Amino acid sequence: MRHLLLALSLIFASAQLTIPLSAQVVEESFNRDPGPLDFIQGDSYEQWILQSLAGDALVGLSPSGKVVPRLATTWKLQKDGKLLFTLRSDARYTDGSTVSAEDVLWTLQEILRDPKASPTKRAILQGADIGLDQGRPWIHSPKPLGRLLMELARVPIAQRNHPERGSGPFAYRKDPGAWVFTRRDHFLKPRIDGIRFRLLPDAASVMTALQKGWLTIGAPATRRQTALPLTHRLITQPMHAQLVVWSQLGVGPLQLLESWRKDAFPAQLLAMNATPSRGLWPETLGFEVQEIESGFALPRSPGTLRLLYPAGDESIEKLLLALRERARRDGFDLQLTPMEEGLLMGQLQKGDFQLASSMVVFDPHPWSVLEYMEPKGPMNFIGWKHPKLAEITSRLLQPGDAAWRDLQTLWARGPAALPILDFQSVIWVDKRLQVEPSPMGLYLHTPGAAGWRWNQ
Amino acid sequence: MGWLVWGLGLALAFGLPGATWRASAPPVFPWHTVGPTLLAITSMALGAPLLAWIGGPPLTRQRPLALLEAPPDLLWAALVLALWPAAWGPPELSGWLVAFLAASLPGEVRWLAQAMPTEYPFPLAWGASAVKRVRRLVLMRLWGRWLAARLPIWLTATLVLERVLGVPGLGTDWMTRVSVRDRAGLTLWVLGLALLWTLSQVLDRDLA
Repeated sequence: MRHLLLALSLIFASAQLTIPLSAQVVEESFNRDPGPLDFIQGDSYEQWILQSLAGDALVGLSPSGKVVPRLATTWKLQKDGKLLFTLRSDARYTDGSTVSAEDVLWTLQEILRDPKASPTKRAILQGADIGLDQGRPWIHSPKPLGRLLMELARVPIAQRNHPERGSGPFAYRKDPGAWVFTRRDHFLKPRIDGIRFRLLPDAASVMTALQKGWLTIGAPATRRQTALPLTHRLITQPMHAQLVVWSQLGVGPLQLLESWRKDAFPAQLLAMNATPSRGLWPETLGFEVQEIESGFALPRSPGTLRLLYPAGDESIEKLLLALRERARRDGFDLQLTPMEEGLLMGQLQKGDFQLASSMVVFDPHPWSVLEYMEPKGPMNFIGWKHPKLAEITSRLLQPGDAAWRDLQTLWARGPAALPILDFQSVIWVDKRLQVEPSPMGLYLHTPGAAGWRWNQ
Repeated sequence: MGWLVWGLGLALAFGLPGATWRASAPPVFPWHTVGPTLLAITSMALGAPLLAWIGGPPLTRQRPLALLEAPPDLLWAALVLALWPAAWGPPELSGWLVAFLAASLPGEVRWLAQAMPTEYPFPLAWGASAVKRVRRLVLMRLWGRWLAARLPIWLTATLVLERVLGVPGLGTDWMTRVSVRDRAGLTLWVLGLALLWTLSQVLDRDLA
């Protein structure tokens, strides 16, 4: 009995011991393998997170979406149209060498040269000239200054001839089954010791890991109405993410969807993760709500529409079933066809569909909607074009310019796509960890994870 | 016939339809999981015949074995995850190994027991030692073919366990290659499995 009491006392005492906060690493999870860290070729949401932790772009975006200094302390548009950057002197790679203008030049040129380079980054630098002027890098791009700067925040700089090495606030290491970042001596002065990501593709497992205290941050499963653990707090943040439907049948079906999306989705299904979209483009990017103004009457019932959607997401599937029921009330048979994500993307790129939906995460600047409209835009699946487009886009110099309204009006006359759901990120965060949410998520802004801290 | 099936598999891997929204680099092959996977498969490859040798054909009529065999991998993985003490931290490879053996052993033992010939009246009439000897000979004859049939399934079906337990391994690797449309990597996967199958055929022929 005495031994039992002693053992119980020891167990109780050990439970009271607290691990020093300074030694704590943030435990996180990926739902997909990000692949190897590669500042030239890497191009996926998870890869962006790796790059934002291990690398620095010339400029960053603040949580509110403003351009802020990062590797470059200042930048100046010269009379000849060149954007000249002044680099900070205290930025260093993991091998200790200083970030130089030659590294910037190599990274940007490599993105343009390498056929396997990230298509997103290559699109950012399309048509740009790059060079050095008295040891300072410059970029001359046909894009307006505001757009170029916001897009450059997506291009971290790698060390010359080392596409896997960046100068970011955390040093990257790939452990068996984990992606590990440890704090470095960096100008953003990160205050947490590190972050460790595990691969957890299953939402229910993320939930269990959160409840058992194995994850500091995680997204709870949407279908479960589980109470928030005492150790965590809930954070919701609007995202630049929408469920978008493209139409090969013209604007008619989109007009129907525009009317159905208003009252199709029960609040219980939407929960906190989604809201019915309003307008044509994300409101989070600063766009006003604009309705379709095609001038055509709504298609008459009865009718049949076939909608392809990405298989595997239970919550989206249920919301689409609700949409189907709403369509039925108007005499339309909305046939839902689930499709593996890669096959669906193949169908979209071939234009082989009636209606097709996909989750879209927009880049954090209003120019990202041009992907719907530009001739080779990655979201222009139906070959949308208009003779006035080039003239209007040339007037889009800054977010909020009057030309944005003209562009949206042009699109509203004959849109090729319509968002039906806006998503927001719902996450549980350990109460002891201070983070800064933003529409870009927790990682992709400046300072991102470098600004997190443990409560004392 | 076997090579025709593997040939079709190769053609499918090489010409996998579909595209990706943003081109993603294929994952680095998880070499660190090869050892634990070999350990798991060796445990299976020895454990299942051993249990079948002890139990023999009557195992096919054992209700408890059928009950253990029925739950899918998902349930075993979820059970391990739920019962794993929070203080131990997330179940790593050890948890995966436990779930793997729990999920696969009952089914494999039954598979082998089902394939064994009936023991009544002979060799039962000749005594226990004859029974054991016949079982051993039968299992040795079955072993190569059984391994060839089940190995691709074991190597790929671990995906469910890996997803639930958060232990990326060989199943996650081929699934990620499907999602990023890494056709070259998938072709290598199918080629590797086809070579294992060929090896088992050779072993089978040698034993015969």
